[in-house]
Amino acid sequence: MTDPIAPVFHRVGNRRHEYVLVPDGTRDWHRARVPGLSRHWLKWRGGYNPKTLQRERRLADKRPLWWFLGLGALVCAAPLLPDTLLQVAVVFCVFAAINVIWTLIIGAAGILSLATMAVVGLAAYASAATNVYLGVPWPLMFVVGALVGLVVGGLLALPSTRIDGLYYALLTIGVAEICRVSISQIRALAPQNSSINNVGSFIPQDWYLQRPGLLLSFASAFVLLLAALLLFRFINSERLGLQLQAAREDEDFAEATGIDYRRARLNVFLISSAALGFVGAYYAMLYRSISLNVFSLDQLLLMFAMIVIGGMGRAEGAVIGTAIVVVIDRALIDLGPLRIILIAAVMIAVTLTTHAGLADVRTQFRGWRNRIKSERRAARTRKGGEVMPEEATEIPDKQEIAYRRFDRRLRDRLKTLITPDLLEEHKAAPLGPHSDALARVLNYFRRGEMPDKYAILQDGPPEAWTYTVMALSGEPGKPPRVVDDRVYQTRDEAYHAVFLLRVNDLLES
Amino acid sequence: MSAILQISDLSAGYGPLRVLHEINFTVERGERLAIVGLNGHGKTTLFRAITHLVGWQRGSILFDGIEIGGQRSLGEGRRTPGIVRLGVAMTPQGDAIFPGLTVRQHLDCGAWSRNAWRERAKRREMIFDLFPPLRKLENTTVGTLSGGERRMVSVGRALMTEARLYLIDEPSLGLAPVISQRVVAALREIDVRDGAIVIAEQNVSLLDGQVDRMIGMHAGRLRGDVGHVELG
Amino acid sequence: MDAALIVYALNLSAIYALMAIGISLLWSSIGMLNMAHGATFAVAGYGTLVIGNAVLPGIDSLFHGWAALGVIRLAVLLAAGVGVGALFGMVIYLLAFLPIHDKANFAVRGMIVTLAINLATVQALLWWFGPRQQALPNVFGFGRLSLLGIPLRYDQAATIGATVVLLGVALAWLRYSRKGLEIRAMMQNPEGAALSGISVRRTALPVMAVTGAMAGAAAVLLSQTVYVSPGAGAMPLIKGMIIALLGGLGSVPGAAVAALLIGTLEAVTGALPFLGQRMVLLVQFGFIILVLIIRPRGIGGLLDETRK
Repeated sequence: MTDPIAPVFHRVGNRRHEYVLVPDGTRDWHRARVPGLSRHWLKWRGGYNPKTLQRERRLADKRPLWWFLGLGALVCAAPLLPDTLLQVAVVFCVFAAINVIWTLIIGAAGILSLATMAVVGLAAYASAATNVYLGVPWPLMFVVGALVGLVVGGLLALPSTRIDGLYYALLTIGVAEICRVSISQIRALAPQNSSINNVGSFIPQDWYLQRPGLLLSFASAFVLLLAALLLFRFINSERLGLQLQAAREDEDFAEATGIDYRRARLNVFLISSAALGFVGAYYAMLYRSISLNVFSLDQLLLMFAMIVIGGMGRAEGAVIGTAIVVVIDRALIDLGPLRIILIAAVMIAVTLTTHAGLADVRTQFRGWRNRIKSERRAARTRKGGEVMPEEATEIPDKQEIAYRRFDRRLRDRLKTLITPDLLEEHKAAPLGPHSDALARVLNYFRRGEMPDKYAILQDGPPEAWTYTVMALSGEPGKPPRVVDDRVYQTRDEAYHAVFLLRVNDLLES
Repeated sequence: MSAILQISDLSAGYGPLRVLHEINFTVERGERLAIVGLNGHGKTTLFRAITHLVGWQRGSILFDGIEIGGQRSLGEGRRTPGIVRLGVAMTPQGDAIFPGLTVRQHLDCGAWSRNAWRERAKRREMIFDLFPPLRKLENTTVGTLSGGERRMVSVGRALMTEARLYLIDEPSLGLAPVISQRVVAALREIDVRDGAIVIAEQNVSLLDGQVDRMIGMHAGRLRGDVGHVELG
Repeated sequence: MDAALIVYALNLSAIYALMAIGISLLWSSIGMLNMAHGATFAVAGYGTLVIGNAVLPGIDSLFHGWAALGVIRLAVLLAAGVGVGALFGMVIYLLAFLPIHDKANFAVRGMIVTLAINLATVQALLWWFGPRQQALPNVFGFGRLSLLGIPLRYDQAATIGATVVLLGVALAWLRYSRKGLEIRAMMQNPEGAALSGISVRRTALPVMAVTGAMAGAAAVLLSQTVYVSPGAGAMPLIKGMIIALLGGLGSVPGAAVAALLIGTLEAVTGALPFLGQRMVLLVQFGFIILVLIIRPRGIGGLLDETRK
């Protein structure tokens, strides 16, 4: 007795490589949930591999891993960075938070609003003013900021429904300018260049420009970024976000299914504005002051560059874009205006080559590659088979397609063999020795399927049998049906009649 | 080389859908050709492949010896003005009209060559002789015209410049029989000494006696001459 | 109403009209929102400065004593401004139009690329010329003339006159010339235009050159009131954009009307005692938002053929 051969598996095909875990199949599988919610931490998918006979588990969505690695690296590296780079990291976190919330407005709600810095700035000014001039303690500045953000967001939201998308974008560019001019008119602030200083903050006064203060700044900014990402996740992946996604794909249909997308957009806009107000208050506390620079057009354009480079629909895009621009802006500060030119060049390059920023490059590439592949496949199909390509994808058994194609070719060939001589030959000797061509034709007919297959009915008394042609139904229990009312006296005539019918069917197909 | 258009192994389609399957045919100089077949079987795609407006195409198209086909997957429509300027005039299915321009401006648009532009007044007169109803509509906005009048404007636009190959796609689509007869009769008047005119049409009876040769098209393949029709 | 106020209003309107019509024209013909229009303005200003400083001394010595010297100097500067503006317009065509005009999402992407060009150009000017404002050589003198009893400064007269002429020429070109016909055909049916031998790329280039030239002319004409500086293009861009919006983004006559309205509004707001100069922007914005809410397509929706 020979030893059983262990199966050897060869990797074929070009499917993406999937990492699978092979857990112990005898133990139960517990998937951990986030405490308090019914969501799982990670998207595990379990399955059974019939070839290796093992239980398998794979991670269906790897994005939380990338987030964890990226942000984790940032957190671990931060305490080791020198002061200048740590300040860059703080700026990165704050801007990334603003951009993530902005992506919520532009991506989820689909409102192309460029007034984010205006909201942030107004909330910062309001909360700073209440702290410095009205003595409100610094923890309440957050509340003030959020409220102001909400109110300003409400004002901005009013025209957004009536005014067309691109028009609205252009109008919002001017809003920041208006804010700047209006605040610079406030006489009370004029002596300080319209800025508010000595704002109360969570950073103690003596820590302010020292290393501990810097570390506290970074920690708080990082927490702010996490909060912004959580907000994005809660809105985008939950009910509001799904409603908005339906509206993005087809507004009329969404409305027809009962989704009030206008209200959903407004809600998202208001929530985001409140969040921006919160960030504004934080901004004032971080720097312990607020000045008109927050409204500057250059700053707004820089932020816009960040989300454009990263991609305007996704949180990953906001963070990646912010990282790229902040690094170029702060790390290469010696280059002066040249670094802005570099950022603009990157912006142009990304916009010219990608549809939706860097974060979506993989999807865009795959879409393009699939398109080229499907065109090449359609162009390559020589002499087309029986099955059109779009049909073929719906037939699960691909052997079927190959068979149909073969059948078609065979029939084309057989059609050329059918000549009047052939018919005469069969008439002369239906069962007798056949020529090669006739044999091929008959072989094909004999292979026909049961439904509608012709048969001969022998009827009548034994001395005078008559023959008629019938067609089998192919279904058990269902009797055959008579094809026509011709009656033949000899079996040979009947055979020939069946042959002629089959030849007709072949020529017509 | 007397063939004005020589198509070899032309396949074309949109995305994953393949409409034309290795088409081969030739159009001789001075010939009036009709391609007949039902809707959706590739007549329009054939014309669009010649003028580079189709999704993708493979195979060779020789227009008067110049290769205008070629393998292409992206950028449809980019080479169309160039092909038109080589001497191909096409009236697409439906109408190629500019809703805000007047009839006169439409015809002027069609006069893209320098000679045609210089003598555009004379050519306009020629078109008005061909389609008398347009004469009094000269300064009306085309967007307000009826279907038959629009078709006349669309065809007239294609006739403004002396082209060598005229591709007319479904001249009778959506028109009353009287008007479509007039349009087809007008096409009969075109002088195709050195060129050719190819008409794609569903309605075979309309073309009786108007063309030299008819080819059938079915499921993206040519079905051979449907019959050599003598000129009446 | 004070006559001087009317003149001031007309002057403002003329300048705004030059900017706004360039933007409207570009949007209606090729569907691109040119955020680099302000950069064209600034670049043309600097170009005129450089060329003027190089050439004017020679002109002065050549035509010394001629009565028409002032006009010649003006002509030279205008030619320089228009030329540089047209060149920059072509640069924008190469970068922002040609690569993506037939690809997905063109309107937004074109806006982003032109925004980036704006950013880069302003910074480049800052880096090359420095942040200091510079003045163009004075061509108008400080004299006044009297037209129908209304006192006009030379430069105001020149601005208003030149704008009217330029606008008239531009609109006439659009409506009557062959290129104008091709442009209008292209915007109404791109495929039909292609079948008439009209190539989008070939037609877009002159349009962008012309709009750039108009911005260049605006830069020269404004040289008396606005110094040449890297950021000089920001206000004309914002004002030009919102005026083009008000007039209806596709409508050139609408933009002209809107410019008139906004210019008058600005002059009047500045003169009213309880509002004053500082409320100008707010009032203008409020007015525009109001109009857009009532009529989302702007003033000119009915005046001109709309983009289908």
